[in-house]
Amino acid sequence: MSLTPQEIHQHVLSYLEATECQIMEKSPHHLTVKLSPQADKMLTNRPYYWGFVERTGAPAETLSFNFVFDPPAYEELLQRQTTPDTRSGTAPPPGQDPVLSRYYGSAPLLPVLGPGRVQREDIIYGSRRLAQIWDASREEGRCLYLFEEPDAEARPKTRSAALDQWLGVCFKVEFSCDLKREELHFLAISLSRKTILSGFDKQLQDRKLSPRLPEYVHTRPAVLTLSEAASMLENHLIQQLSGLDYTWANQARIRLAEELAIIDSYYEDLLQEPDEEKKSAIQEQYQNRRSEMVWQYEPKITLSALTSGLFHLYSSGSGLS
Amino acid sequence: MSRLAVKGEESRLVTSFEELQCLKHIGSLSPLPHQTDTARRVLFEMSGRAILADEVGLGKTIEAGLILKEYLVRGLVSKVLILVPASLVLQWVRELNSKFGIPAIAQKKVYSWGNDIVVASMDTAKRDPHQEILLNEEYDMLIIDEAHKLKNKKTTNYQFIQKLRKKYCLLLTATPVQNDLSELFNLITLLKPGQLGRQGDFAANFVVDKRRPKNQDQLKDELAKVMIRNRRGEGPVKFTKRTVRNNLLQLSPDEQSLYDGVTSFVKDQYQASGGNLSSMLSLVTLQREVCSSRDAVFVTLVNLSKKLPEDSPLRDRIWELVHLIKAIKANTKAEKAIELIQNMNEKVIVFTEYRATQEYLLNYFRDYGLVSVPYRGGMNRGKKDWMMDLFRGKAQVMIATEAGGEGINLQFCHHMINFDLPWNPMRVEQRIGRVHRLGQSNDVKIHNLSTKGTIEEHILNLLHEKINMFEMVIGGLDVILERLEKKESIEKSLYKIMLESGTDEEIRHKLSSLGDSLHHIKEELEADSIPQQLREEEA
Repeated sequence: MSLTPQEIHQHVLSYLEATECQIMEKSPHHLTVKLSPQADKMLTNRPYYWGFVERTGAPAETLSFNFVFDPPAYEELLQRQTTPDTRSGTAPPPGQDPVLSRYYGSAPLLPVLGPGRVQREDIIYGSRRLAQIWDASREEGRCLYLFEEPDAEARPKTRSAALDQWLGVCFKVEFSCDLKREELHFLAISLSRKTILSGFDKQLQDRKLSPRLPEYVHTRPAVLTLSEAASMLENHLIQQLSGLDYTWANQARIRLAEELAIIDSYYEDLLQEPDEEKKSAIQEQYQNRRSEMVWQYEPKITLSALTSGLFHLYSSGSGLS
Repeated sequence: MSRLAVKGEESRLVTSFEELQCLKHIGSLSPLPHQTDTARRVLFEMSGRAILADEVGLGKTIEAGLILKEYLVRGLVSKVLILVPASLVLQWVRELNSKFGIPAIAQKKVYSWGNDIVVASMDTAKRDPHQEILLNEEYDMLIIDEAHKLKNKKTTNYQFIQKLRKKYCLLLTATPVQNDLSELFNLITLLKPGQLGRQGDFAANFVVDKRRPKNQDQLKDELAKVMIRNRRGEGPVKFTKRTVRNNLLQLSPDEQSLYDGVTSFVKDQYQASGGNLSSMLSLVTLQREVCSSRDAVFVTLVNLSKKLPEDSPLRDRIWELVHLIKAIKANTKAEKAIELIQNMNEKVIVFTEYRATQEYLLNYFRDYGLVSVPYRGGMNRGKKDWMMDLFRGKAQVMIATEAGGEGINLQFCHHMINFDLPWNPMRVEQRIGRVHRLGQSNDVKIHNLSTKGTIEEHILNLLHEKINMFEMVIGGLDVILERLEKKESIEKSLYKIMLESGTDEEIRHKLSSLGDSLHHIKEELEADSIPQQLREEEA
């Protein structure tokens, strides 16, 4: 699955907004932004600088970036902006210092250094920065604690409404042998009713969530502890996985067996070597080759939790009860 | 925030076992169809252990980069070791960084090995203390460029690679079989021992004699499981044409008298030394330098006289020659070059053999208001890069003394002028290869400058007419030379001919017999079609 420049724009923008960065300029093709300290720490890889700031209490100067999502379109935009300037008489050609070039004929613009410098960076699908932003958001959004906000009109304010507690976990499942495939499973379990839901992200989509406890609500008491709930989710997922198609793993095992047979036959003769010293060297090589093959082909399934959170939701919501 | 993380993770998710993911991750590069095909085959049919044996200039590096990127994207590989010849280390690092966004670093100090993706030279890697570090490590992926250097089982290189532990492995070479079929067997043993049976089986089943395989079809099938060879000419890649124009120039009277003076000086010396070839090399160089520029010959003459004892009678002769040099006011070749360049009005690269000529041309072109930049082997990496950037930008002309080694890629320029010619055909080919390579969209125009009635004329004659060097498809030349040079290096034979022959006629005669023997080898190679066919069919 790839992303369009618009989607990438959306992703980056939502990260920058979530970290309270100061957006200075914006077009459909680019964003100029001064990072917040939080985002700067996550994105710019300047641990020494931040260490310095924290110890000395110096005012922190964050970096500014010019993120470009659609380079060709942005170039066009720039061109359109600069053309009227050059037509107005004596203006110097672009890329020249306006004052110095009057005296020296040719004076290329010096790059601005230090604070006030805005670094241009093209962000396309697959660029390091985007991966970094995702990783950062994963790091910072690892744990959640959210409440559903009530619909202002629909609910009478006379009576306290009940909220269900849900533990939601996004699992990543990796199937790997010499090749690899991945799946995401977003599961949730109700702490009071022990029901398990899959595709929990869709449930969350239409709800308004906030980190603050709304008025006139109470939470239903939980019958499960968090660790019990987590292990139930895990078991549920493992059970689901065991029902899947495992021909890929069997094929990988067959491939492994074939490769091992080839290696075995190759070393069979060599291991007849009479010289003990040589033989042990060959033996070692043989074992290395074998273990390499196992390492390469042996099918594995890895489970990891990307994010998790406690969600307090109205039970009346569609499909939840 | 976490919703964003999930979305990001979702879009990065590898949903299928069999789909090339990396293409979406490399925006700036669009690989050619044969490159993606190769990557796909290595990934899904060969399980990531393969020999990439494309012919020169088809982009093996790109293919390896694609495969590596795919594994990185899928998270199957994190620790990578890339072993390449020392001169290519930085180029690899830069290509991986800029084209694929792979954070590779060049190995510099011992601690560099700690990084995830390291590019290093084989010679460094096999030395202590590096060797030990590497052998204790397990590599998810090992890539070896110029892998034909591993053809001999007994070398330390081979044994070192044999000991490395790796999951996936790519061997890159343009010439998997150079002399002997057992070389191929050795390479494959590094990759997948036993793929071609045991050593004895292989010899019995597939080998008639050194160069000739038997059971071709079977061998071909087996090879196809571990090796991919794309060839020029066939299939997807179309190379543009080369057109050659030879400009034969008449030396001015002053220049001619200098040439004659130097020639007789050289001949006298050769006879005086009693045919001792090795000490005479610098003297023939004198002759060649005269054809290039007076500056070049001047520098050599002065150095020569400095070496002689104070009272040597030779000193006087040398000073006579120096006086001849002083009389020369113009350089015929430089005038022609400037005329050519002004007519072209496009980017052009000028090659010369001599530093002094390079300096002279820089000044000369500047006087004519042409912006030119130098390029030579002694420059450090940063300066070379800078010169390249200048040439790509505002300079119209680049004057280079060195073509081989670290690749300078000048696809944006399609004119080249050989101000003088090297005597080694491979070096001529390397020069042309800078411009005529993958990504060149125009026909390449090669202008050779040579002077009438000099050794240069003979050399050009040999290269151009006898081996048809300038228009030949690359790839065959190295094999031809390798066979010829079993007896004596071609440069040396040329020197000998030049020194020993009394008259022009004699030179012509000897060169033509040399040319014939080259021609003969070429035909022999074509007739010797079985290994050839094997190579063809592998593709």
